[in-house]
Amino acid sequence: MSSQFQHLLVERRGPVGWVINNRPEHLNAYNTKMHQELAEAWRTLDADPQVRVIVHSGEGRAFCTGVDVNEMASDDFGVERYRQAVEDNDLGLTPLHLGVGKPVICAVNGVCAGGGLHFVADADIVIASSEAEFLDPHVSVGQVAAHEAIGLMRKMPVEAVMRMSLVGRTERLGAVRAYELGMVGEIVDPPDRLQEVAQALGETIAANSPAAMAATKKALWGALEMGLTDACRAGAVHLVSMWGHPDQSEGPRAFAERRRPNWALPIDPRTSAATDPSAATDQSGEGGPRP
Amino acid sequence: MSDYERLIVERDGPVGWLIFNRPDAANAMDVTMLDELERAWDELERNPQVRVIVNTANGSAFCTGVDVVQLSKDKAALTVHSRRTRDATLRMSAWHCGVTKPVICAVNGVCAGGGLHFVADADIVMAADSATFVDPHVSIGQAVAYEAITLIQKSPMEPILHLALVGRRERMTANRAYQLGVISQVEPPDHLRTAAQELAITIAQNSPSALAATKKALWGALETGMTQAKRHAGPLVTAQWAHPDAAEGLQAFIDGRAPQWAEPDSQGS
Repeated sequence: MSSQFQHLLVERRGPVGWVINNRPEHLNAYNTKMHQELAEAWRTLDADPQVRVIVHSGEGRAFCTGVDVNEMASDDFGVERYRQAVEDNDLGLTPLHLGVGKPVICAVNGVCAGGGLHFVADADIVIASSEAEFLDPHVSVGQVAAHEAIGLMRKMPVEAVMRMSLVGRTERLGAVRAYELGMVGEIVDPPDRLQEVAQALGETIAANSPAAMAATKKALWGALEMGLTDACRAGAVHLVSMWGHPDQSEGPRAFAERRRPNWALPIDPRTSAATDPSAATDQSGEGGPRP
Repeated sequence: MSDYERLIVERDGPVGWLIFNRPDAANAMDVTMLDELERAWDELERNPQVRVIVNTANGSAFCTGVDVVQLSKDKAALTVHSRRTRDATLRMSAWHCGVTKPVICAVNGVCAGGGLHFVADADIVMAADSATFVDPHVSIGQAVAYEAITLIQKSPMEPILHLALVGRRERMTANRAYQLGVISQVEPPDHLRTAAQELAITIAQNSPSALAATKKALWGALETGMTQAKRHAGPLVTAQWAHPDAAEGLQAFIDGRAPQWAEPDSQGS
């Protein structure tokens, strides 16, 4: 899978699809090419029926340091290359932007700055190595901090997000404080075990019903868009969408029979004709629910 | 700066200070103080030399809310305050008064009832390790609304409901507030102002126009759903690109030098 990508490593390890930022000499800042590749990677992994969970991490000491400022300074496009995307709110950068239906784990391996926070804000689950640090230097370079912070504010205490956005480059939120605040769910120490821990978590999640997880994601992310009662009403639609789905009877049956469930493959119009539901059991990993 | 009876309003470098100064009444807000607050926020907002504002208090308390006894003696003032309360048009906090500059609240002691407006409505909150937070409204037959409504947007909800419903017998400590992410820094009492000034100086190094737009985007995001908030933020992001600070900031970064921000105009933008 990786061969088509210049700045990313994209591969499948069992049921887990991996996207690894691979511009370590630029602290994994994304240039235009890498931006396009990220979009392509999310689409590819979301469409691959063998991939049940996606993990996003980085190579080297940084996870991602946002837009490649040097590239912007090197041509006449500058920030203008992003105008249409920002004005249309169509950044095409993160799994959330691309409408990925599978669970996404962001595994933050090091410094995560500015636009790198998009991936933290937009992931379902975030874990971090003990060396991870978070900062938003936008205002220190004359830019507005907005989309990343708006996403984070929905998911963690707001004061910490406002502080990061207004203080800028001179202050870093460490992994421990990020864990305390609920910005990340787990700290991996020693840091070099991050990918191993992320893979294990991915395999655990991959044992769950893909259809149920996709509906759950829709209900929960949708709830960030509206008031509580409206969110419950909208969530009910996703909940009821599982009624009559084979997983809904297979799950309790497998539980009663003390065996691993055989989930139906998610229906994807691009791949559904070619899939064999029996293959799903081979991909469910070792972490399946046990009665 | 101008004369105030219940406040001290001063500037230390780029940092404007708004200090509650009614320590013998635990910094409860009487009519004079309510009037002066509105004037003080406006003065600090308009002063182009002020880039960041710190709000703290003299004495052992930070603020213990509205001085209801004193207010009830002033019929005209009571009418104004009651109308503003009813219409959700209070003019106490920086947020009420539309301040566009970053505001740090430095809670030096007990913060009770209406004093929580200043915690809820600040961008950044720090506190002395001796500070406590309490909401006695329901213990004296009053409903809690604005302070808690804002706080539950910004922090875990249970602790805020807990304070609101238990009333005067429950106090949240500064350390618990830090754990919950209600505040981001705890300092020894005698170091609080130094720490606030240092943080304010740090923030003052950033582009004033970018700070104002960022504040607008983030506080605006509490008003709508996430996607709608991002749509609203888009024009704030791109409008900044036309501001000289946007090009200067990136160029200074590439050159490895300190940026020279454009002077803000007197409207604080």
